[in-house]
Amino acid sequence: MVNTVSIGQLTEEANYDRFMERIEAGEKIETEDWMPDEYRMTLIKLISMHGISEIMGALPEKEWVPKAPSLRRKLGIMAKVQDEMGHGQLLLRVAEDLMKPLGKTRENIIRDLLSGDLKFHNVFHMEAKTWGDAGLIGWLVDGAAIITQTNMLDASYGPYARALKRICAEEVFHAQHGEAIIMALAEGTDEQKAMIQDSINRWWEALLMFFGPGDASTTGTSKQDTTIKYKIRTKTNEELRQDFFTKYIPRVLSLGLTLPDETMHFDQDAGMWQYLQPDWSKFKQIIKNNGPKSKERLRLREISYTNNKWVIDALQN
Amino acid sequence: MTHTLVDALKDECYHNSAIELLFQLADDDFILSYRGSEWLGLAPHIEEDVAFSSISQDTMGHAAMFYQLLQDLGAGDADELAHVRSAGERKNAVLLEKVNGLGTYLAEPHYDWAFAVVRNYFYAQAKKIKIESLKNSSYQPLAEAAVKVSMELYYHLLHWKTWFTQLMDAGGEARTRMESAIKIVLDDLDGLFSLGNSGPELTKHSLIDSEDTLRAAWVNRMSPVFESVNFNIPEKFGMKNGNGRNGEHTVDLKSALDILGEVYNLDPAASW
Amino acid sequence: MSGKGFYQEFEVFSKRTDTSPLQYQFSLLAPNHELALVMAQENFMRREPVADIWIVKRDDVRKMTLEERQSLQRLDNKDYRNTKGYGYLKKKWRFYEQEMLDEKEILSWGGKQNK
Repeated sequence: MVNTVSIGQLTEEANYDRFMERIEAGEKIETEDWMPDEYRMTLIKLISMHGISEIMGALPEKEWVPKAPSLRRKLGIMAKVQDEMGHGQLLLRVAEDLMKPLGKTRENIIRDLLSGDLKFHNVFHMEAKTWGDAGLIGWLVDGAAIITQTNMLDASYGPYARALKRICAEEVFHAQHGEAIIMALAEGTDEQKAMIQDSINRWWEALLMFFGPGDASTTGTSKQDTTIKYKIRTKTNEELRQDFFTKYIPRVLSLGLTLPDETMHFDQDAGMWQYLQPDWSKFKQIIKNNGPKSKERLRLREISYTNNKWVIDALQN
Repeated sequence: MTHTLVDALKDECYHNSAIELLFQLADDDFILSYRGSEWLGLAPHIEEDVAFSSISQDTMGHAAMFYQLLQDLGAGDADELAHVRSAGERKNAVLLEKVNGLGTYLAEPHYDWAFAVVRNYFYAQAKKIKIESLKNSSYQPLAEAAVKVSMELYYHLLHWKTWFTQLMDAGGEARTRMESAIKIVLDDLDGLFSLGNSGPELTKHSLIDSEDTLRAAWVNRMSPVFESVNFNIPEKFGMKNGNGRNGEHTVDLKSALDILGEVYNLDPAASW
Repeated sequence: MSGKGFYQEFEVFSKRTDTSPLQYQFSLLAPNHELALVMAQENFMRREPVADIWIVKRDDVRKMTLEERQSLQRLDNKDYRNTKGYGYLKKKWRFYEQEMLDEKEILSWGGKQNK
């Protein structure tokens, strides 16, 4: 029985072939299973960025938690931002287990974030100026996140797929929480309507950037080929962006809101939405922590880290 | 004698006392939950951030229940009561309005975890004692609410007690920080037990036990905990920064009210 | 408490009701069992009922390796372990004008005492 030969004794090449066979067969790879370095490093990069983006993503919305305009909204947004922290927890645990053989821990993740080595998602560098932005984040940013995350629900790495399953279930609540805020504004006073339109105008470019560049030609690098090869995800960035348009544009328009791109339309022949590209050079700057709120938000994390260090030190046992 | 909502609406003196007490209860939970919401994303540990937020949500939920009882008694719309009343009209204990530390939640929040642990633990215990007393309140809707609220307090107490004893037992810098936090909290702790100028009325109507009874019960419950961490509590607690039950408050409350009502007050008539 | 720093790994298990089996939830980091316990419910079971929680130190969990997991496979030729292998009895009992005591029937016997 060839299959019972200990995998650890196989050559690197045989290990790789066996690994790819498992992936092709739809098997889930578990933390301690043999995996090629490229797979491990790709996952670490992807999942630690995903996890830390949840943590950083809590910050723009958190600005509106104490200000939420009713008891019910205060409760809803508190629960929503709590979930973001909770998603960060789930994802960082997955990333931490992958990093363990490299001798790295959560502290490394936080330090890498503060040093700029670990990037966080472009949308969370943006300013959340108004209550409308808090609603828009819940509705459209979480909507975009649902599209990218459901695309990985069947990821070949078991622990990631399982974390995503938990996360996506909660995202459904997030989307409805966002919709509830937006709906109240869209059906409200003229000022309230203007508030949400202004949010869409300001966030549109960041939403387009959300899914990343269409291919490496715009920004120089792209991990999408590797993640597709290892069955971590199935669709390309552009396919995801198109899915987002299809799901959300009719809804935005149905509420009497407009898009800040007059050229935007669905091209029946090409079967695709045509739209003005965002400024990808700006995207590159944003993810290098040169976005409108990058420094301030990193500063919040840094304070939380240094200010509470005594607690961590006290309970070393 | 038990009073239903209908009974309370018929007896002006009783009605006023019930409203007075409900404002104290609602405002306490509301402002402490607000302070908790400022901590969101800034706690010492991600897992703890999530747990702490659940407690803040529970507490806001309790505030909402008490504001609803006020609304039922004709005191005004629950959201309006929470968002519009000025500092002078608020009845919360001053201890609960105090800022979390230096800075604001938006910029340079140098928050003090020791203060958070001590304030929340001491409050959770005081609230538990009040809620036990309120289960026997003469105002029936309040007694019913107390049974519900009580359910969630076991967790709040377990959670904060675990943090409290572990940090107290850790020694070194943690012990020093915890002891300074305890001092600050004790200086205003009596405000939690105070029932304000109308206290005698509240007790007379059997709405809640007297201040002395509540305080003694707290000391009784907490003494073994203090003993276990080798800490001597003073005989008397303070109300150094005023008695919130009588509308005395600090600037901390004023700035909190500006923030928590910012969006609501853009258009109080609008639906948000 | 063991001395390995604040960020220790704990596995969290929970029961939904008193009668449900223990189910694995997820892992968390905590400095000790007590703090792990007070954080567990709110991290993983915010939206579901919980009747009990178990916390296990990751180091105390012996997991299977990929090769060992192959030892879990077995042939589908063991119907003698199940009622499926004894289905013919039903027909036999019918011959003797008796009902078959099947799983449904037997498990219904435990009910409350007759008063």
